[in-house]
Amino acid sequence: MSSDRRIALFADLHSNLEAFDACLEHAQEQGATEFVFLGDLVGYNADPVAVIEKVAELVDKNKAVALMGNHDEAVFKDHSTRMNAHAWAAIQWTRNQLSDQHVSFLKELPLIHKDEDICYVHSSASKPENWSYVDSGLAAWHCAEAAGTTYTFVGHVHDSTVYYQSSVGKLVRFHPHPGEPVPISRHRRWVSVTGSMGQPRDGNPAAGYALFQPDEESITFHRVDYDHYKAAEKVHKAGLPDELANRLLTGK
Amino acid sequence: MAINKTIESINDIFQEGKEIDGFLIGEEVHRGGMAVLYEATKEGIEYPILLKVPRVGRDQPVESLIGFETELTIMKALKSPYVPRLAGAGNMAKKPYIAMERLDGRPLDQIIEEQGGKLSDIQQTIDIVSNVALAIASLHAQDIIHLDLKPENILVTKDNKVAIIDFGLAHHTHYPDLLVEQMRKGVGSAPYIAPEQVMGIRNDWRSDIFAMGTILYEMLTGELPFGSPSTINGLKKRMWSEALPLRAIRKEIPPWLQEVVLRCMEPLAANRYQSATRLRQLLKSPESVQLTARAEKLYPNSAWDNMKRWFRAAGYEPSPCPKPSSALENAPLIIAAIDTRQNDDVLRERMQSTAMHLLQAYPESRLICLSTISSTPTFEGNAESETASGIVRGHLVQLMDWAKPLKMSTERVSFHVLEAMDPASRIVEFAEDNHASMILIGASHKIPTKVTPWRTSMTKIVEEAPCSVHIVRS
Repeated sequence: MSSDRRIALFADLHSNLEAFDACLEHAQEQGATEFVFLGDLVGYNADPVAVIEKVAELVDKNKAVALMGNHDEAVFKDHSTRMNAHAWAAIQWTRNQLSDQHVSFLKELPLIHKDEDICYVHSSASKPENWSYVDSGLAAWHCAEAAGTTYTFVGHVHDSTVYYQSSVGKLVRFHPHPGEPVPISRHRRWVSVTGSMGQPRDGNPAAGYALFQPDEESITFHRVDYDHYKAAEKVHKAGLPDELANRLLTGK
Repeated sequence: MAINKTIESINDIFQEGKEIDGFLIGEEVHRGGMAVLYEATKEGIEYPILLKVPRVGRDQPVESLIGFETELTIMKALKSPYVPRLAGAGNMAKKPYIAMERLDGRPLDQIIEEQGGKLSDIQQTIDIVSNVALAIASLHAQDIIHLDLKPENILVTKDNKVAIIDFGLAHHTHYPDLLVEQMRKGVGSAPYIAPEQVMGIRNDWRSDIFAMGTILYEMLTGELPFGSPSTINGLKKRMWSEALPLRAIRKEIPPWLQEVVLRCMEPLAANRYQSATRLRQLLKSPESVQLTARAEKLYPNSAWDNMKRWFRAAGYEPSPCPKPSSALENAPLIIAAIDTRQNDDVLRERMQSTAMHLLQAYPESRLICLSTISSTPTFEGNAESETASGIVRGHLVQLMDWAKPLKMSTERVSFHVLEAMDPASRIVEFAEDNHASMILIGASHKIPTKVTPWRTSMTKIVEEAPCSVHIVRS
């Protein structure tokens, strides 16, 4: 293992090419040495083809690991009853844009990936196929128990959060401040929700991602400004539900 | 929690004469409940070093290791002249240690003990605690709350300057709080912790204000205001019970000081002084303390009063609290730099109304009216107006006259005359020392001949000020 690994964690890209490009550039400036895509490459927004191809290229070059999210699965599996109308409409539209090759790339994505004491998964390490949300200390505890690793990184929930093991074993929620490294020491367990890149929902339209430095034992959550007007305009032009364009503009 | 078993061999690693990460371990200087301290040296580090090694093992409380982790995290982030510098640290799981600057000064508890339980010199007490407040303000400004302020954790030098140590129980808004949700509530030192800490709340910076009140109380009276209870119920008593008035124990304590101490120890954080900077300012200028019934109390509360307070405490709801550094934002200090020589009435009125509006907008804000004089004469004349103190007094009177139409309480307005060859630098320096949020200056269109230096001053203030600068024009 080379020293000073910097792992950029990208979750919930949701076909947002503008956000992806901005975050990729930002992560490279921060010295990212590898990339992990924590699922939901597609859905909601207007650039599924470009996003898939970019990710596939990084995976091909052995620079990245990509995982499957529920929106990726929805492209080849019926999720109509498990998604809201706008989300499902976007999936239908997405499928029409993709070639068989794109779809088979999505199909082959693993649900979960482990690398020594780190576990990566889109939803929760506990029954990842159920797409449950890590949105509470208890859910984080189930996730950490199932993963069995020191660190677990997830997406699916769009707000960045760190859950950490307290001295009584419980997992406690912490909301990180963007740009401030959070020390995450190896002798306790951590579950981090890295925050959404392609569709932030905390009222701040800036794209989110996290940079994990295993040797430093720290993680920094970044928010990156990008041309969200352009991304929203593309959503609108593509004929996707206007509601989805508005979400990019308001960050809600 | 999985702590590496190898940690138990810690006693073999840390021994006098051994070297670890370049630190040569010297004599053991202190063995406390949570940690052992060694002297140390390292090539390339000029200041004296202390190596703090947590005591770990089966019989040690879990807080000692979490406290160690917390302290390291916070010392890494903290930048303050009142806190030891961090020289290095060892891996938490294998060889935990923190190497820090060894500061001069003696722990305050030793000083108190030596003098027989309290300090005979009231002014010394005031000087020390106002310096503690200055140090605490620098922590709060960085969103750090100490939460374990007590005489043991305050080092005092010969000239009453202080340093704050031991961040094992501290809280930093930007980092996960490892001590939150502990089984044991009210972690801290029984005589000094605030009622909200007893409830398990760890993010209220005003807990430090409470602790400073209890420390003042102890230094002044030789008594602990709430004793040293060892049970949760004993600790909860401070949610309603009021400490015996200080003047009932020691008559010479001035009423204003009793007011300040009792206000710091209000059970509800919202009723205390809201910032350490404010506490320091009041300790430095007693004349601006607003006296209430607290100041005059000479007897303990009646049983009936205590009963009422007890009922109120039964529904004790900790005060809501934003983050510590917002104390600065919500209690801004505004400096009005007033040129007492200029005679532009329009400008004068505009500056006054601007100052008044700002004070009205922030109920916790304060205004310092500032004037500079070039220098006081070395050879004093006979007339009052020619002596140094006479000149300063003359300026003060003008400043007070300036502030009169603002109709603000004495607690919110104070007056300073600074002697300076370079007024701009002095004003900027003053703003920095006092963590000012804004400097208000006036720019007159009526330009008297003498005013050119004032103009260049203004440019300098705008460029170098640590805060916003508001220029009022006529």
